[in-house]
Amino acid sequence: MRDRLRHLHQVQSDSEGLSSVEHDHLSVHEAATASSPPDPYLYGVLQEAQQIRLEIQQIQNEISELKDANYQALNKISHPAETERDSNAIGVAIKHRGEAVLQRLHMMSALRAELEARRGSSDPTERIAQTQYQCLSNALREVMISYNDTEMSHREACKQQIQRQMEVVGREVGEEDLEEMMESGELNVFSTQVEGKTARSAFLQTESRQKEVLELEKRIEGIQELFLDVAVLTEEQGGAVENIQKSVQNTEVIIQDAVVQLDRATTFDKSNPFKKLFCCCSFDHCKIL
Amino acid sequence: MAPSGLKAVVGEKILNGVIKSVKKDGEWKVLIVDHMSMRILSSCCKMSDILAEGVTIVEDINKRREPISSLEAIYLISPVEKSVHALINDFKDAAFTYKAAHIFFTDTCPDGLFTEIGRARVAKVIKTLKEINVAFLPYEAQVFSLDDPNSLYSFYSSKPNKDKDKMIENLAEQIATLCDTLKEYPAIRYRKGPEDNARLADEVYQRLTAHKADNPSMGEGADKARSQLLIVDRGFDPISPILHELTFQAMAYDLLDIKQDIYTYQTTGIGNSNDREVLLDEDDELWVQLRHMHIADVTKKVTELLRTFCESKRMCTDNANLKDLSQMLKKMPQYQKELSMYSTHLHLAEACMKTFKGSLDKLCEVEQDLAMGANAEGEPLKDAMKSIVPVLLNNEIGAYEKIRIILLYIFHKKRGIGEENLAKLIQHANIQADSNIITNLQNLGCNIIAGGRNAEQTLPERRERTESTYQLSRWAPIIKDVMENAIEDKLDRKQWPFICDPAPINTTQTAVSSARFGHWHKNKSPTEYRSGPRLIIFVIGGVSQSEMRSAYEVTRATDGKWEVLIGSSHILTPTSFLNDLKSLDQVPNPDC
Repeated sequence: MRDRLRHLHQVQSDSEGLSSVEHDHLSVHEAATASSPPDPYLYGVLQEAQQIRLEIQQIQNEISELKDANYQALNKISHPAETERDSNAIGVAIKHRGEAVLQRLHMMSALRAELEARRGSSDPTERIAQTQYQCLSNALREVMISYNDTEMSHREACKQQIQRQMEVVGREVGEEDLEEMMESGELNVFSTQVEGKTARSAFLQTESRQKEVLELEKRIEGIQELFLDVAVLTEEQGGAVENIQKSVQNTEVIIQDAVVQLDRATTFDKSNPFKKLFCCCSFDHCKIL
Repeated sequence: MAPSGLKAVVGEKILNGVIKSVKKDGEWKVLIVDHMSMRILSSCCKMSDILAEGVTIVEDINKRREPISSLEAIYLISPVEKSVHALINDFKDAAFTYKAAHIFFTDTCPDGLFTEIGRARVAKVIKTLKEINVAFLPYEAQVFSLDDPNSLYSFYSSKPNKDKDKMIENLAEQIATLCDTLKEYPAIRYRKGPEDNARLADEVYQRLTAHKADNPSMGEGADKARSQLLIVDRGFDPISPILHELTFQAMAYDLLDIKQDIYTYQTTGIGNSNDREVLLDEDDELWVQLRHMHIADVTKKVTELLRTFCESKRMCTDNANLKDLSQMLKKMPQYQKELSMYSTHLHLAEACMKTFKGSLDKLCEVEQDLAMGANAEGEPLKDAMKSIVPVLLNNEIGAYEKIRIILLYIFHKKRGIGEENLAKLIQHANIQADSNIITNLQNLGCNIIAGGRNAEQTLPERRERTESTYQLSRWAPIIKDVMENAIEDKLDRKQWPFICDPAPINTTQTAVSSARFGHWHKNKSPTEYRSGPRLIIFVIGGVSQSEMRSAYEVTRATDGKWEVLIGSSHILTPTSFLNDLKSLDQVPNPDC
């Protein structure tokens, strides 16, 4: 990597000696930026995008919190501290936040469509909204996948603990049988043999874990619709949305079409007999677009 | 899984060196690219990568853009007149298009253009101006491209190219930026024969030396002294680009219509869309796993992986239709990514097999026999003509397939064939319209007409290969032999001369530390720092998929001691190669 900024300044100062007009240039620039007001929609879009980004980050934080809560439930039978939420509470929070983000994304999409209708698809604000919307949709999907993964690992951990506890009481269970037992809730199969402190403790642990898993599955069930909505959202955008070349080239096509239409308009306009008579500057008018 | 190798190195250089380096919290920027830099960027970064670092939109410098005067712009462009003038124009009128400019050139900006920038208004709002020395596409972890599909024409057309010198200089500079980026200062060798090989090798040496003067850490490290850069011409192995390959990537690109690495297919998803577009690149872990596998193994593997996946997620699947996603997706939409991946590759494999089963299976047998000079049992081919005539007379086989067979027959004959014989073959095959493809190969130095232009040219002797292969995949690209020989230091110096005699290999040097820079390598990113030597191969005129695969195979065989990189001006498919050949004796289309 070669830094050539200093070299540029050298060339600048060499050439500045030749011209005395650059003070005007500077003030013209200042005037120019002052005179073209920033697009309020642009500011709004970027702000909203940032807010959504922060919300998604917040979901990620809650997923970390959930990981801790799950871990605690796994390793102690005692209740968590008053200030800490339990897994179900966090699960509900994640669901609501996810749904809210999805809503905001839908609104962003609607705004983009409106901008496109009003200003055309070459408008930079519309395209910025499009890019942000696509990336945020992907980010939401990623964070939902992360939530699913967290819950699934906890499920695995619970299952393994149940398996270990059953070994403790001398009952070895294979994976598939264990799954079946968990699903049918028939873990109390060995409750009749519960004698002695070890067996009793093992039974309590198993019962606890099974309760965990059931609650976990209820959480996942409850959020299934959100998963589906997010999947539909990202599928509609297509797989190649992350591809920069596609993103740049799509807009190119639109511009080219517009230019072709512009040229056509100019030709038709030129041949307009009224214009020919009165020599209007319609050509310049079109150029401004 | 993050990409490794070239993509990771370049991706990191661009994300950190360009985008992150000017990131300011709370401020978004516009990224402006031209064609070359867009291709480079696109091949190693995703939209979400750059969005995460404060870029909110990517624009093409060569189209008219609406001003976004509240945002600063990053210009990532090649230092060519068209782009520089567009840059200057953005800041010409009273209203500047952007608030400020951060300029990053892909390589050295020539003095003339640099002065133009310095003298223009834009100079007042330039906050950054750097040259990043990345003027190549990291196509894959071990494959690079210079993104110039016209290269075959530029080098080998029948019409003399007056811009050839300039073109070779540019090419050399691009290759030098590759070495610079990888911190390599390899010994340069070229295949003796065609003049262009030596010329290009010489130019690269000069550019490389210039880069090293600015960047002395290139080539530092005991093992790096063994790195080599080989320049070879396409005509050296004309068989590999036209043979039907049966490994996944090569087969797919040959038989299906895959443009810009995007595969499109019909499927039912969960939404309403029917057309699914998938990018086949290294972010798709399954693609990386499958791409060099033989097609027979691919379907088996994907089906097995999908079944295991469904079982582990307790998704009940009936054997009915594994490809039908909609049911599975509705039940478990959180696995959309994985399910789509499996679906894509199942479809891709099936599409390949469908096209293959048509008439290609018989064709491939004939091709392999011709290329190897022997049949699957090892018996030398006695009457090649007998095996190809039925193919040529078959009306259901396409013109390009017939041309490929004829060419393989000619190469099998080793000394070319008589003009009369060639005319007869062309007539049998009824391919008069495309017959110049065959004769144009002479421009690449291939021996086509017996006693004609390239009468002394013969294909090199092959290494003995004992590894078991599928019957229809016996051929190994000639470059694979070269790679193995170079690594074993067995590459003949007369056939592959060095530009500059390499330093004697000092095997006693153990400490990897430089007096000037100490343990410089300890601060390098893991992707960039590779202690082992590299073998970099540049093919003039295009590289085939099978040759790309060879780079990975040879690397794996060294247990990671060596890394083989291969690249060219562009990546070939058999069809694109034949199309390129077809136009060699024509005037280029001025509109291209």
